[in-house]
Amino acid sequence: MKVARARAEQFGGIVELSRPRALLHVDRQMMRELGYPESPLWQQPEGPLSAPTEVHLVLSRRCAAGCRGCYVDATPQGAALSREEACRILDELAVMGVFHVALGGGEALELDHLFAVAEHARAVGITPNLTTSGLGLDERTAERCKVFGQINVSVDGVGDAYRAARGFDGFPHAERALRLLRAVKREVGINCVVSRSSFEGIGEVARLVRRLNLNELELLRFKPVGRGARLDEELTPEQAKRLWPMARRLVFRHRIRVKLDCSFAPMVFWHKPSARAAAFFGVQGCVAGDVLAAVQPEGQFTGCSFLSSGDDSFRLREKWPTAFAAIRGYVRTAPEPCASCEYLHLCRGGCRAVSRAHGALLDPDPGCPRVQEHRARRPLPVLAQ
Amino acid sequence: MKLFRRGRVLQATFGCNPNSSSLGVDVTFLLFGSICASMIALFLGALLRGEQK
Repeated sequence: MKVARARAEQFGGIVELSRPRALLHVDRQMMRELGYPESPLWQQPEGPLSAPTEVHLVLSRRCAAGCRGCYVDATPQGAALSREEACRILDELAVMGVFHVALGGGEALELDHLFAVAEHARAVGITPNLTTSGLGLDERTAERCKVFGQINVSVDGVGDAYRAARGFDGFPHAERALRLLRAVKREVGINCVVSRSSFEGIGEVARLVRRLNLNELELLRFKPVGRGARLDEELTPEQAKRLWPMARRLVFRHRIRVKLDCSFAPMVFWHKPSARAAAFFGVQGCVAGDVLAAVQPEGQFTGCSFLSSGDDSFRLREKWPTAFAAIRGYVRTAPEPCASCEYLHLCRGGCRAVSRAHGALLDPDPGCPRVQEHRARRPLPVLAQ
Repeated sequence: MKLFRRGRVLQATFGCNPNSSSLGVDVTFLLFGSICASMIALFLGALLRGEQK
């Protein structure tokens, strides 16, 4: 075990391990035992983290692929952060104590300065991770990708299912990219957007993860934002209930590591897993503006990359303590059926971006099975005669 | 006599997240339940202290 660094929080601190790669929340006593000095934060009442643990740096809205459901609405001429802007933001994040950045876009590999930005992240003590479509990745570029921590290639289906999901035949390119990357490093996985159409083909993607000996399959919920807002691809109520059993089956059948993004929390908690285990392993719903933040290519910082309104990225450190009050306060102000849900403090009402896309930011997540059942039971309004 | 309370690991997340949305659920770990969580907490705590020495 190797401790890379740590930062203080109200509850104690967060310790980053570089081997195995992990973030550990520890109490104040453990921080003392590890030799860290008393922190002024330990005198403060419970609140949001002093800084996000990870930030998604949306380096650009630039991508030639033109996927039909792209949530950042990327185009070949989309906006991009310059190398100087990206490095300045990384400096700011390093001072705040951010541990990881997820570099993405658009297609980050289309930017000439991607590797310079990743190397700068390493230089200031932040682990850079990457999501890519893998299009155009060659052996030389794969070799340079050693600078990243985890790299995931977007594969929403195998063969024709890829074309159906993305609108072009990119699967052979994505598979080649996975092989090239896997040849140079261990931490290579697949990101798979789970939509109404792709749901039944997820097993094939899991098989691919096993066959290529990748280290994880991350299942991401389809969200109706960006170009995805024009598609009718959200999970059906029946699929939402089947999601967690399907994920468990993939783990056992293919012996692979499966992760679900935070927006899937309501679909998991509906099955009533151990709340204690969920809390320990950091299983949570919306952590926007707390564990997570995003920087948009136009320079704004937002709670997560699916939320659009935000503030100037260069003032993130100054604004962080008071920003995102509405999202952070959801647990206190949640309406029914979230208010009476035993998992509210973990689930946090599901995905704010999906709620906003369907109505209001602070509505319960309409994709949650419990919310759907609650709405089905609600009596219809009586119309005046 | 004052009892010495040892420090504890409260939460553990493994790996790095390259995604636009945060790592929400690591299915593999959640499958093993709360007893496993307690054992891993004790194990990681012991390893951390060992590292310090």
